[in-house]
Amino acid sequence: MKAKTGTPVAGPATAAAGEAPLVRRPEKRAGWLEWLAVHFVFLIVCAFFLVPFLWLLSAAFDAKATAYIQWPVAPTLMNFAHLFTDYDFGRVLFNSLFVAIATMILVVFAVALAGYSLSRLDFRRKDWITYGVLLLQTMPISATMVPIYGLARQLGLRNSYLGLVLISAAIELPFLVWLMKGFFDSIPRHLEEAAWLDGRTRLRALFEIVLPLAGPGLGIAAGLSFLSAWAEVLLVIILIDTQDLTTVPLAFYQAMRTQGGYTEVQYGVIAAMAVLYILPVMVVFFGARRFMVRGLMNSTRGL
Amino acid sequence: MIAGRRSSFRRNRLYVAGLSPAALLLALFFVGPALWALFSSFTNSALVGIDAANPRFVGFDNYVRLFHDPDFAQVILNSVVFVIGSAVIGQFVLGLALALLLDHAERRRFRARSFVYFAVLLAWVNPTIIAGFLWVAMFDFYSGSLNVALGHLGLGPVDWFGQAPMLSVIIVNTWRGTAFVMLIFLGALQTIPSDIYEAARVDGASAFRRFWDHTLPMLRPIAALTLLSVTMATFGTFILIQALTNGGPALQTEVIALYAFHQAFEAYAIGYGSTIAVVMLSLNLAFAIVFLRWSRARA
Repeated sequence: MKAKTGTPVAGPATAAAGEAPLVRRPEKRAGWLEWLAVHFVFLIVCAFFLVPFLWLLSAAFDAKATAYIQWPVAPTLMNFAHLFTDYDFGRVLFNSLFVAIATMILVVFAVALAGYSLSRLDFRRKDWITYGVLLLQTMPISATMVPIYGLARQLGLRNSYLGLVLISAAIELPFLVWLMKGFFDSIPRHLEEAAWLDGRTRLRALFEIVLPLAGPGLGIAAGLSFLSAWAEVLLVIILIDTQDLTTVPLAFYQAMRTQGGYTEVQYGVIAAMAVLYILPVMVVFFGARRFMVRGLMNSTRGL
Repeated sequence: MIAGRRSSFRRNRLYVAGLSPAALLLALFFVGPALWALFSSFTNSALVGIDAANPRFVGFDNYVRLFHDPDFAQVILNSVVFVIGSAVIGQFVLGLALALLLDHAERRRFRARSFVYFAVLLAWVNPTIIAGFLWVAMFDFYSGSLNVALGHLGLGPVDWFGQAPMLSVIIVNTWRGTAFVMLIFLGALQTIPSDIYEAARVDGASAFRRFWDHTLPMLRPIAALTLLSVTMATFGTFILIQALTNGGPALQTEVIALYAFHQAFEAYAIGYGSTIAVVMLSLNLAFAIVFLRWSRARA
């Protein structure tokens, strides 16, 4: 996941993306007044952006959680236990993991082939394909929710793993095809041409010579497709309405919506669910920030 | 010529085969829904009832209805207010300001800058629906952190979602999306060599003039693209508002994606919901074409 793997400037949104720090000379030292002013602004910014998360953590581990941020009144892990007893969360976790992993496999397979083919394809109107892929990338799921629902219903793809995996994979494709094309573009053609001359078939050359070189790119595609399938909420709202197939985002969405009204909101339990929901995201965020940021910069989905 | 074409086909045959799984999925679930929406917008297709079993072809009825629908006018107005408020004013201005601040802090070697950077990013990397949940709690009337804090200051509780629903969703979307703009501008600022500033300082230019004469012009091309990009993303907002206010109270925060969803799944009018989707897709396509032209012109 090094930033300097000759990765393309992927997607339209990242014309200047990237966090590679330029070596710059520091200016003269700041006066204390400036130090104070800047850090005062820092404090306000941090409060605005962090307080909601601090609340989430405190509520998830508090048996008497309310909407107010406080040190847990009655520290507990019961909120998490309740998930498994009241919400059948083991099943929900399994569904989410299954769908995310299946989506990841399908996406990696499809983008490895498509990225390589698009990179090596040789005809005059080739940039039209690239242009079309980019256009598809800007199509928001929120605009196609209604037709995806209608189409999936007619094709019998609602309430099935198959439908969820196929459509989750499809919506990840435009950006990742484009990303992988860039990776394959950076692998010189003469490597595989040499393999052909050695008598390997094109497919063997692809698997033995080219794909190993594209490893980092495939890793990124795998990670990003897993995460977005894990987080995707719009699709499950329209595609799934049976209890058996509920995934984490859907369980979270339903728990959020059925709360309130005349019943007291169980903030602790929902917060616990939210913590489990964002756990993989956090792991990747703190483990492989660059790669996650790159992926997110190019995605306008799931808003 | 014919021979040339044939050999071109033979040369590319395997690559075309390699493209086909992805192409099939894209055709089925991107092009497919778009065509389905277009077709369905000319019918009275419904989720339940007689029209569900036998949708009729109704010509342009849905479109005529849409352009005479006072609710739709309200929805468009809401969308415009939401985009200007949260994308242009909120995310863009705040993101640019944060980028300038963090860039300055980096020159000054302030350690706290990376903590601030992470704090802003944290709000953005998480699934959007999480932002909705967190702020439902923050804005809670009786025990939400905001109103409790205001209470300590001796200020009355504010009924955020009741009295200022649009402002509330704009605040949350700004909170969620500022990091994107900040990242873009941080990247752009780091490409500006510091020699320029040093030369300007030697010339005796004030900090403000240095910013106005040197920094801003260098940011302008990327700023246009960024603005268009956040506008497109914000225009498609669905889950955030669905989680926060569900479009209410009344229609005060109903933006276009919510309206399509509610018409299709709560008023059971799939045909009418598809019509709204078609309008939304067309507007998005227009944005996207402009965006791609601009980014090509830059490249």
